[in-house]
Amino acid sequence: MAYLQARRDFLKIATTGVATTVVIPGSLGALGEVALKSEDKFIRSICEMCSSRCPMEARVVNGKTVLLQGNPFAKEMGTSLCAKGVAGASQLYDTQRLVKPLIRLGKRGENKWREASWEEALSLVAGRLSALRERYGARSVIFSAKTGEQYDLLRSFASAFGSPNVFSHWSSCPIAIESAFEHTFGEKLHRDFENANYILNFGHNLFEGLDIPLTKAMAHFSANPSKKLVVLDPRFSVIASKANEWHPINPGSDLAFVLALLHVWIRDAKYDKKFVEQYTIGFEALAQSVKETTPQWQQTLTGIDAKVVERIAEEIYAASPKCIIDWGHKATTTKAEYQRSRAILIANILMGNVEREGGIYFAKTAERINAFAKEMIVPVLNDPYPRPLVNEKRLDGAGEEGSANRFVSKRHGSLTAIPEAILAQTPYEIKGWFLTRHNPLVTVAHPQKMKEAMEQLEFIVVNDIYLSDTAMMADVVLPEATYLERDEGISKIAFKTPCYAMRNRIVEPLHQNRSAIEIVRELAERMGFGSHFVWRTVAELRAFQAKGDSVLLETLLRRGVASFDVPELFARESVFVERFCERHPKCNSLLDSNGLLSSMLTQLKTPSGKIEIFCKTVEKAFKGYGVPSAVDMDVKQGYPYVLTSGKSAVHTNGHTQNIPYLNMLMSDNPIWMNPLTAKEHGLKQGDTFYLKNGISKEKGTVFITEGIRPDTLFAYMGFGRDAPMMKRTHGKGMNPSKLLSLQSATLCGAMITNVGVEILKA
Amino acid sequence: MPKQYRLLYDENLCIGCQACSVACRVENSVPDNFFRLQVHVQTKGVFPNLGMSYERLSCMMCENPPCVSVCPTHASFQSKDGLVHIDEKTCITCKYCILACPYHARFVNPLKNVVEKCTFCYDTRVSKELLPACVSTCPTEALSFGDMRQKGSLVEQKSQKEVLVFPKAHLGTKPKVAFIPSRKGVKV
Ligand code: SF4
Ligand code: SF4
Ligand code: SF4
Repeated sequence: MAYLQARRDFLKIATTGVATTVVIPGSLGALGEVALKSEDKFIRSICEMCSSRCPMEARVVNGKTVLLQGNPFAKEMGTSLCAKGVAGASQLYDTQRLVKPLIRLGKRGENKWREASWEEALSLVAGRLSALRERYGARSVIFSAKTGEQYDLLRSFASAFGSPNVFSHWSSCPIAIESAFEHTFGEKLHRDFENANYILNFGHNLFEGLDIPLTKAMAHFSANPSKKLVVLDPRFSVIASKANEWHPINPGSDLAFVLALLHVWIRDAKYDKKFVEQYTIGFEALAQSVKETTPQWQQTLTGIDAKVVERIAEEIYAASPKCIIDWGHKATTTKAEYQRSRAILIANILMGNVEREGGIYFAKTAERINAFAKEMIVPVLNDPYPRPLVNEKRLDGAGEEGSANRFVSKRHGSLTAIPEAILAQTPYEIKGWFLTRHNPLVTVAHPQKMKEAMEQLEFIVVNDIYLSDTAMMADVVLPEATYLERDEGISKIAFKTPCYAMRNRIVEPLHQNRSAIEIVRELAERMGFGSHFVWRTVAELRAFQAKGDSVLLETLLRRGVASFDVPELFARESVFVERFCERHPKCNSLLDSNGLLSSMLTQLKTPSGKIEIFCKTVEKAFKGYGVPSAVDMDVKQGYPYVLTSGKSAVHTNGHTQNIPYLNMLMSDNPIWMNPLTAKEHGLKQGDTFYLKNGISKEKGTVFITEGIRPDTLFAYMGFGRDAPMMKRTHGKGMNPSKLLSLQSATLCGAMITNVGVEILKA
Repeated sequence: MPKQYRLLYDENLCIGCQACSVACRVENSVPDNFFRLQVHVQTKGVFPNLGMSYERLSCMMCENPPCVSVCPTHASFQSKDGLVHIDEKTCITCKYCILACPYHARFVNPLKNVVEKCTFCYDTRVSKELLPACVSTCPTEALSFGDMRQKGSLVEQKSQKEVLVFPKAHLGTKPKVAFIPSRKGVKV
C-alpha cells in the first residue's frame, strides 16, 4: 500500500506505513519523506531506459505533475516516447531503489549489508582498488559498463588505472554486426527506412525493441500500402504482423537464406555490376563461395520454399536501390552470426543501395560534413574521457594476434571469456571487478559459472540503481542517481545530419544518490590520478567538451539537442550532392566526373580503402570466413528444440523488470510454445515444465500460442531474478541466460543466444 | 460553437507498445493495476496463417452515453463540447454507470473511492490546447486527436480518407473514438 500511495502524487513519497512494508536497507523506502524541487517547466534531456538514448522532455506543472515525453526539438522524435521512457518517474520514486551506499557484511553473495556514508564507501573502494593494483598489477581488475557515456567514462578511468580489461555490453548484443561492418566498410552505416520501397527484415523487431526514430519510420513504412515489408522470423512477432509476408524461418538459418539470394543474383547477373566494380574488392571470391548455395539447397535448412527465394530475389532487384536488407540491432544468435551479418551487408552492396536515398548510408558526422564543406559548419567536440594506451594483453585475448578473439574489439572485449579467466587464473591473476550499471548475472550467458567466478574475486564494486543479482555479489554497492537526476556531458548523434544531445537533470538527486561521473571523478582523485581528467565538475566537463562554445551549451541546456542547418547528403544522389555544393561551394572541388562524391566510398577505413567483400586477414585466421559462406550453421546441437529470446516493448534487457509501472504491464516471462508441441508433451496453458540441455535444467511456465514454429521456443529476456531485494521480480519467470553456454560465436566473440534444448515434464 | 472532438486510433500504425497506457497513468495518477486505457494485442489464426488484432480499450466519449442517463446524482454529465465527465464531489460510487457502460471503461478509484475513466485529459491538457497524454506520447503516431470542425487538421483529413469503425455502433452510443481497422488481418 505504501507504494500505491506514493503513486498517487509521485512527487512525494508517502511515509505512512513505509517502515513496516519496505525494509530494504539503503533503499528509498527506508527513508522518510522526500520532497522534490523541480527546476523548470520544461526540461529537455536524454532517456536512459534502454540504449537508444532518445531525446526527451519533462513537463513540470506547478512543481507537481511530471509527464515525460519525446523532445520535439529532435525532429524524428516529436513528442513520442515509449512506455519505458514514460515510466521514468516510476523508477525515480520506486521505494525499492537504492539511495545509500552499502557495504557487505557476511559472506559474498549472502545479502547482508550495512549502510555507509559516501566518504566511507569511496575511501574503501579507492583503497581496495589501489591495493589490488599494488599487489597483482592493474590488469588484475576488470571494468565493465553498459554502452554509452558511462562506458566511455569507465574506460577512461580504467586506462588511467592501467588495466586493459575493459568490457562493454557489446559482446552480449551487437558485436557481430559491429565487426561485420568494420571488416566490410570500416565503420557502421545506417538505414533510410523513410524512403525505402522494399525492406527485407530478418527478425529485427523494431516494434518490440523500440528505438523511437527508427520505430516510427518503420511503422509508417509498414502502414503504407505502396511499400513492401517481408519478415523472416521463427516467431510471429509484432513486426511480422505488420508485414506483407511473414516466413517462419528455421531459427538461426538466416545465413542460408541470404546465401541463396546472393546465389540467385550472381547466377542471373542481376545485381549492380557498376557499383561492385567501382567500389568493392573480392567479388570473385563471393561468386565462388555461393556457387552451391542454391534456393533448393537453402530449402532444407530454412524451411522456406525455393520459389520464395527466387521471387524475393527478383522483387528486391526490381526495387533497388530503394531497398534495404535489414541487419537488425542485436545479432548475437548463433555461432555463425558474423557470417550472417556479413552476408546481409554484402547483399545490400550487391543491390547498389549504398549512399542512395531509400538505401543505406554513412553517418554524416560533424567531422565528415566539415570535410566535405571544407569549412567548419558544425562545431567539433573535445573528448573529455582520455585513454592513455595500456600496453598489456587483455584477459580475453581480444585484438591479440593468434588468439581466437583476435578480431574482437579491444575496446569492448568478449564477456563470456571472463569466468574461465578468473577461475583458471589464466592468462594471469584476476582479483577485482568494477561494474557500473552492468548486470551480467542476468544478461550474460551461463550466470552460474559467472557467479562461481565472482565468488573467487577479492573485491567487487557495483554501481547500480537496484540491488540487482550482480550487485548482490559486491563488497560495496554505490547507489547511482537515475537519469532524471543526472547532468552529463554532450553526446553525439549522427544519422543523415549531425546532432548533439545532452542529459540535463530534471529533479535534484533524491537523498544521497550520485552520478557515475561524480563517483569516478572522486575515485580518481582519491587514488592519486585526479589530474587524468581536466575537468572537476560536470559543468567543467561540458565546457571543455564544447570548447567553450557558449551558444552550443545554451542550446543544449534549453533544448536538450542541437542540430545544424546542414543539407542531407547522399554521396551517390546527384540532387543531394548538388544541393550540398550550392550551399557549400568549396565542396565542388571534391566531385568526381559524374558530379558525385565517390570519395566517400573509396577512402574507407578498410585495408584496401574500398568496400571489402572478401577480407584477406580474416580468411587467413579463420578459414571459410573471409567471404560469406555456409559455415557453423547447426543451431540445435542435437536437441529437438531451439530456445530463442528477445525484447518486449515494455522492458529492456535486465534493467526495467522491477520498475512498478512496467512490472504492472509485464511481470513474468512464460515460454512461448506451439499448441502441437504442447500437446505432444501433454502441457496445458500455464503448466510448469523444464527446459534442459548440457548447461542447465530450468523451470518455466508454458504460454501456448499459434505464433511460433513447433520446433522453436521463445522467452522474453530479463526475468528469473535471484535478487530478493527486487521484490516485484524475485523468483518470477525464467532466466534464459542460464541455459546458454560460454562458447562464443566464431571470430566476433558474441554470446550465442539461440540454444538447443529438450522439454521435460515437471 | 461547441467543439466536435474526435480521437482516431489507427490499428495499422499501432504496435501495442503500451506507451499510451503508461502516459495516461502518469498524467492522471491512475492507481496501480487500474487502467483508463489499455491496448490489447491478440494473435489470431492457425500457424502459419496468422494475424494480430489491435484494440484500444478506453472511454469512447459517447454522444448518447448510457452512463450519464443512469447516474442518479448527475455526477456523470456531458459538457457543452459533448465530452462525458464525472464530478468527483457528487459521485456516490453506486456503480450504476459502471454497469451501464458497454465499453467497460469505468472503474472505482480505490484511493479516492469515486468512479473514474478517461477524460480525454480535458482538465490538464486539452482545455489548455495540449493533446491528450496518450496521443502526444504514442511512438508511431497511431493516435490523432482534434476538433473535427477544423478542416485540414490531421484528424479531419484522416477521417475523410479512411474507413472508420465506431466500436459497438449497433448500440447507438455514437462514440467519439473511431478506429481505422488494420489492412493486414489473418490470411486464410
Ligand atoms: S502508444 Fe501508440 S502504438 Fe503504442 S499501444 Fe498506444 S496507440 Fe498503440
Ligand atoms: S464509453 Fe462508457 S463511460 Fe465512456 S461515455 Fe460511453 S458509456 Fe460513458
Ligand atoms: S485521453 Fe488522457 S485520460 Fe484518456 S486515455 Fe488518453 S491519456 Fe488517458
